[in-house]
Amino acid sequence: MGTSRDQLYRERMERIERATELKEPDRVPITPNFSFFAARHAGYTNREIMYDYEKSCRAIIKTTVDFGWDATNGPPGLGLTLFSLALLRDHPDVSPLLGRANGVIHDILGERYGRFPGRELPDDSPFQFIGGEYMKVDEYDRLIRDPTEFITNVIMPRTCRSFERPGSAAYLGSAIKLGYENSRFRAMYVNFIEELKGLGFPLNSSASSYAPLDLIGDYLRDIKNVLLDVFRVPDKVKQACDALTPLMIEYGKLTGSSAIKLIGSPRVFIPLHLNEYLSPKKFDEFYWSTLKEVIFGLVKEGLVPFIFYEGYHDPHLETMLELPRGKTIAWFEKTDLRKAKEILGGHTCIMGGPPASLLIGGTPAKVEDYMKSLLEDLKPGGGFIVNPAVSGIPDDAKHENVKAMTEAVMRYGVY
Amino acid sequence: MNGTPDPEKLTVAIADVDEKAALEISQRMLEAGEDPAEVLEVCRRGMSVVGQRFESGKYFLSEMIMAAEIFNEILSMVRPRLRRIEEKPLGRIVLGTVQGDVHDIGKNIMIAMLEAERFQVIDLGVDVPPEKFIDAIKEYQPDVVGMSGLLTSAIESMKNTVESIRATGLTARIKIVIGGGRADEIAREYTGADAFADNAAKGVEIIKAMIVG
Repeated sequence: MGTSRDQLYRERMERIERATELKEPDRVPITPNFSFFAARHAGYTNREIMYDYEKSCRAIIKTTVDFGWDATNGPPGLGLTLFSLALLRDHPDVSPLLGRANGVIHDILGERYGRFPGRELPDDSPFQFIGGEYMKVDEYDRLIRDPTEFITNVIMPRTCRSFERPGSAAYLGSAIKLGYENSRFRAMYVNFIEELKGLGFPLNSSASSYAPLDLIGDYLRDIKNVLLDVFRVPDKVKQACDALTPLMIEYGKLTGSSAIKLIGSPRVFIPLHLNEYLSPKKFDEFYWSTLKEVIFGLVKEGLVPFIFYEGYHDPHLETMLELPRGKTIAWFEKTDLRKAKEILGGHTCIMGGPPASLLIGGTPAKVEDYMKSLLEDLKPGGGFIVNPAVSGIPDDAKHENVKAMTEAVMRYGVY
Repeated sequence: MNGTPDPEKLTVAIADVDEKAALEISQRMLEAGEDPAEVLEVCRRGMSVVGQRFESGKYFLSEMIMAAEIFNEILSMVRPRLRRIEEKPLGRIVLGTVQGDVHDIGKNIMIAMLEAERFQVIDLGVDVPPEKFIDAIKEYQPDVVGMSGLLTSAIESMKNTVESIRATGLTARIKIVIGGGRADEIAREYTGADAFADNAAKGVEIIKAMIVG
């Protein structure tokens, strides 16, 4: 039994690798991301998933094993990538610990970006990233001059109640609690990975990076303001993106190399948000040029950028041909996957699946039809992985629809 | 330049999302004693071009957001000067982000576009529970109720809200439109809404067709 699970693990890893390298594996891999769908499936509240590590891990393991996917993801958390940059240069070993918040970390930091179930939200809500305007437009120069200094000394005190007054008891106590909590999480996480591995399941990715403009939009200026800045202070926006680019490469490399050691995956997740907000000209000028640098910087290190192109990326598909062939994964949401294959086939591995509405409001028969047709069109020649849009399986997806999606891959995804 | 600026230039400035020019021309028009209602009317024509350019793929969300900002800036200049109550609105819309979701970018673009089209909008804000929609329907008797949402969980929340509203029997002549990043035909059918829009320009078009015909 041990050997066969070991073999399953290797087969699953290889399936994803082959698809990424644009070869035909034995079957199209299915690697859904999910967060609170696992809570529903395992019978926990969202609050329990955010605050109880044991339950969070149980829920993921149960869901992954029950559906038999090719890879799974770790416990859900709110991305706080910006905070990691505060420690990236001076304390890289602990920098990633600040990059993600579960409920406990959210409470310790007193951070203002997120709203959590059981705290600001009812027990069964998903956590939500709100963002906000934490940097004023006249502060671009300070950000450009020294991003690390600005984030550490200006932004963290503004966005974390616990860090409002550096050197205060609240500040010191929180820093200590943060360290303690992270070692508790880490111990659990290592066991979780081992247990999954023993059951034959790899994790898809545990590293991340960011597009520089998204970093400004999500954490500093907020989405609306950063887009207005693109019109009003275009040069400042560009300089800020340039200043953040080397940090994003460094952060991706740091988390990527630790992911290779820990879970054996070189995939560095980069979730894009503002891509669909920008016309091709603005996209190229303010977004793609620096994001491309990040992607190339990671590929050079042997890492595989695993990029989520939110919304409609259709107008920008051609630009993706500028990326190195077979070295990235393109996870699409509303982009026409067939058109994407026409353009990117033989160049970039495409990831996609049914829309959220279908998994929530559809029926198993409708899901099967959708998947059969999708696989017929996307499977040929390799380079396709199934993972539903938008952040994987929606929390409210119906069990039977997720089952239908999975079974369709097993049935129609074989080469 | 002297005298009253050419209104046509204001339409063009807004259509081109040229904030500086648009604000400057509006300011000069108002100072030259132009009827504020006329200034607003000129802005509306510009906004209408913005919507068309979005629909045709020339403009993207960033232009819509910039245009909405310009329109709101001019609106705040014009409003205190309006001598007469504006002509009767084309229709009344109650709009809110559904319970459990606190995102409002899409909703706010929608409001600016609707106001530019001479609709009266009652903004219920974010995380709006079904009862609040129902109270607003009773109070304002809108032609259309719009529900916005970004999260995938908004779909379930919209369904719940639509059902609660329908159960009151208030919707005989009121249409319900769902909107936002995750809205599509499957979600429309599932929630029981009358229509869906996944962008503001489309939303305005649908609502216009519902009210004006």
